[in-house]
Amino acid sequence: MATLPQKLSIGVFVCHCGGNISDTVDMAQVKNSISSIDSVKVAESFEYVCSNPGQEMIKKAVKEQSLDRVVVASCSPRMHLETFRQAVKSAGMNPYFLEMVNIREQCSWVHDDRAKATNKATALIRAAVQRAQYLEPLTPSKLKVTESVLIIGGGIAGINSALELADKGYQVYLAERNPSIGGHMSQLSKTFPTFDCSACILTPRMVSVAQHPNIKILTNAEPTSIKGSAGNYEVNVRIKPRYVDATKCIACGECTLKCPIKKPSSFEENLLEEKAIYRPFKQAIPNASVIDKDYCLHFTKGVCGICQKLCKSEAINFEQQEEQMELKVGAIIVSTGYNLIDTKLVGQYSFGFHPDIVTNLQFERLMLQGLHRPSNGEMPKKVAFILCVGSRAITADGVAYCCKIGCMTAIKQALLLEKTVPEAEPWIFYTDVRAHGKGYEEFYAKAREHLTVFVRGRAAEVISNGNSLVVKAEDTLLGKHVEESFDLVVLSPALIPSKGAKELSEMLGIDLGPDGFFMEAHHKLRGVETKREGIYIAGAAQGPKDVRETTMESMAAASKVATFLGKGEISVSPEVAYLIPERCNLCGNCIEKCPTKAINKGKNEIVIDPVSCIGCGSCVPICPKEALDLKNTTEKQLIAQIKGIAEGESSTLKIVAFTEKMTAYGSADLGGQSRRSYSPEIRIVRLPSIGRLGIKHILHAFAAGADGIIFVEGDDSVLKEDKLRELVIKFKKELGKFGIQPLRLQSTTTTLPQYEKIFVLFDDFVERIKKMGSLTTEKREEIKKYLENAKNAA
Amino acid sequence: MLHEKKKFDTVTKTIQATPHQGSRKDFLREVMKLPGGEKILECIQCGSCAGGCPTRFAMDYSPMQIIKMINLGMKKEVLSSSTIWICSTCYTCSSRCPRDVGFATLMMALKNKAIQENMVKNPINSKFHRYFFEVVNKYGKLHEPSLFLKLLDKTDINGLRSNLGLGLRLLKKGKLEMRAKKIEQTSILSAMLEKTDERGTS
Repeated sequence: MATLPQKLSIGVFVCHCGGNISDTVDMAQVKNSISSIDSVKVAESFEYVCSNPGQEMIKKAVKEQSLDRVVVASCSPRMHLETFRQAVKSAGMNPYFLEMVNIREQCSWVHDDRAKATNKATALIRAAVQRAQYLEPLTPSKLKVTESVLIIGGGIAGINSALELADKGYQVYLAERNPSIGGHMSQLSKTFPTFDCSACILTPRMVSVAQHPNIKILTNAEPTSIKGSAGNYEVNVRIKPRYVDATKCIACGECTLKCPIKKPSSFEENLLEEKAIYRPFKQAIPNASVIDKDYCLHFTKGVCGICQKLCKSEAINFEQQEEQMELKVGAIIVSTGYNLIDTKLVGQYSFGFHPDIVTNLQFERLMLQGLHRPSNGEMPKKVAFILCVGSRAITADGVAYCCKIGCMTAIKQALLLEKTVPEAEPWIFYTDVRAHGKGYEEFYAKAREHLTVFVRGRAAEVISNGNSLVVKAEDTLLGKHVEESFDLVVLSPALIPSKGAKELSEMLGIDLGPDGFFMEAHHKLRGVETKREGIYIAGAAQGPKDVRETTMESMAAASKVATFLGKGEISVSPEVAYLIPERCNLCGNCIEKCPTKAINKGKNEIVIDPVSCIGCGSCVPICPKEALDLKNTTEKQLIAQIKGIAEGESSTLKIVAFTEKMTAYGSADLGGQSRRSYSPEIRIVRLPSIGRLGIKHILHAFAAGADGIIFVEGDDSVLKEDKLRELVIKFKKELGKFGIQPLRLQSTTTTLPQYEKIFVLFDDFVERIKKMGSLTTEKREEIKKYLENAKNAA
Repeated sequence: MLHEKKKFDTVTKTIQATPHQGSRKDFLREVMKLPGGEKILECIQCGSCAGGCPTRFAMDYSPMQIIKMINLGMKKEVLSSSTIWICSTCYTCSSRCPRDVGFATLMMALKNKAIQENMVKNPINSKFHRYFFEVVNKYGKLHEPSLFLKLLDKTDINGLRSNLGLGLRLLKKGKLEMRAKKIEQTSILSAMLEKTDERGTS
């Protein structure tokens, strides 16, 4: 534990910001009150502290006055924290000895009353000075990384990422749970809107993957556990036996010919049958047979073995066992793709009751098999395409989001149908045609030019009528009922996350969104990253997507991996949790609490991985022994800051707003940028996450002079809304015990676009606290005494 | 509050530019409070309800159009439409609606509202429902001949004549029970009906 040095010299630099601050805040008065603080050696104000001369002034003061800490009161740290850190660093000071106070976005821009704004600015600076007393020198550490990558999922996304990274020189492991790589794209006929043959653009890439010296393909493989941290993961992969030695098999197909057992082919979407020993498809990689254990007579009845007798290359091995493989990788890309929703769930379309009602993926296979009606093999002429089957539904049989590919797929299939069958008559039953991509609107126009019938209305039902199928719908544009007979009905099912996505997300410690797809770190800016460092996502694993978007994302993910691993070492932020081992009783509360699995149990100790730790601080308050702390937001620093902000003249109300440092604090800044004025009673404290707070901090705030407390958490933070609510309820109960009205504590979550919301809350809350009045001095003394006793007891 | 209001305004800006500007939100909010109206804003006008409605042919507006009209605040048109009376509450629309709009339930509520607000265009529609419940209240079950007699316009000779054949055929097949019988425990039924009345009016 760092003890307080005898006498620190602190320099405070207050920025006028060319009037932006000084027009509302009385600079002379601020300087005056601040310089009266004991440890403040230098108190200066300057027109633009961020400018070159401003920075020079700080550097000069640091050197000449031998300052120990620097406090800059200016704009938001989101704006210039790095600038000033670099300035003090170049003066030979540890950059973490700099503390910034936001008196522009969160003071001068949002308050009109000069006296009150000056007062608040002084309080904020005082709090920073008090916190600065306890600042510790920190240095980012460096860590060597393993220059190899695991890609989970061997569809077009995984294939592209693998090639990209292998070409850059990384060792790539491409793990696919099916017997061949290729994914859904290998099942498609042509791709929209250019009619590129899917196999023609995919299979050469598959071959490149197979031949690349830096790529190792693992088929029938699924990851089972993960250890380590970003840059140095250890992943266990389970490889299920294929009962055929892929290195010996020459794919002659003798075995398949003679195998007596048939089963539905999953590659053909159950439209055709294949043998129990089969090659997944003609261009499969690895190009080797595989035995389906659930059907093979050798496994079900212990007989047969014809294939083994026939195979000249002696590739068949019934004794093959499941393997466990341990991979050491620096980064992971999750590209597990999607599945189709079970179309039977949407009962009115009678899927499963008539062979001529198929999914759009089955229609792809029908076209590649030579277009026919599954019922009688005849050529279908009139085909109904029903869109949004299970999509855009808030009921239990569907999903709320749009499948994104259904419209274009139906248009493509309608046009292909016209090419194949001259007198064809495709009808598309749509809710809204969504032609969002490049060339898609033109593609839609093309279908109209080819006289495809578009009916705006979600089909109500499909009924079989002898040899044909009747589709009933409302043409919502005409307000007329439509009832037509068709040869074939093609449904566009909703896209859902790939099976096992939930288990995989739990194993890897990354998030799923409310839709069940993997969650990116930021919707706009960090689309292929996850909240866990070193783990990336690409393609439809993140949400419904077409081939073009998937390809771009796979490249982006590969690029991100290369940036991450490329330097050979990574810089680890020093703002992480650390353990005070002599206090720890190994209870393990922190292990459960950690949202990124950064805390693990070692042999006889708790180990915190500084790479995985995101510094949210959730582990600190839940430790019963106070054996954990967070660097740069230590208990001492935090309590000093809280006291500083809440202390001072008792005539005005004081409300402390704790905000999460990214989204919530950013929202408060946005309010400043749009000059949304609110009461100067609100004083904001920036925290890594509200999870960093314990009841102790709340009590300290009340004891020091706060009359109300607000929590603002970012909606995308690790502390989710329900957890925040739980925390607040817990705190309110605790407050009740001290006779403090629970209504003095309020919480909310926010997103940046919703930033206004927090100011509405501020306004309402100030009104509420005004009505309740300030807390009595006796009450504050009582809490102080309690805190004192608790401290002594510890 | 300001924020909430702004949000609502943006969402509804385009729809507001209708002749019913003044009362639009009022009627919409009223309907949203009715049973079945809770999720009315979820409607994406897909037409599943209209496409599958077995009595659509006899309605002046399709179920989907009724939802749209409620959204536009077309109170008069909605409450005087035949749709709300033609609806046989078969619940096909409700069970198929991907947006969970309780259309069939809402239709019952709109019937009540139309009567309360005296907006029933064709009185025969509301009469049928009134007589139906009168008969059920009296006997504890439906007695068709009583309902017929109540509904028949006794001055309409042509109407009487055209229905005579149908009546005789039903009689011949034993489908019409001439003497009405009450169910055994009418007291329990009337207690139940009283309870629903209480809830309906509160």
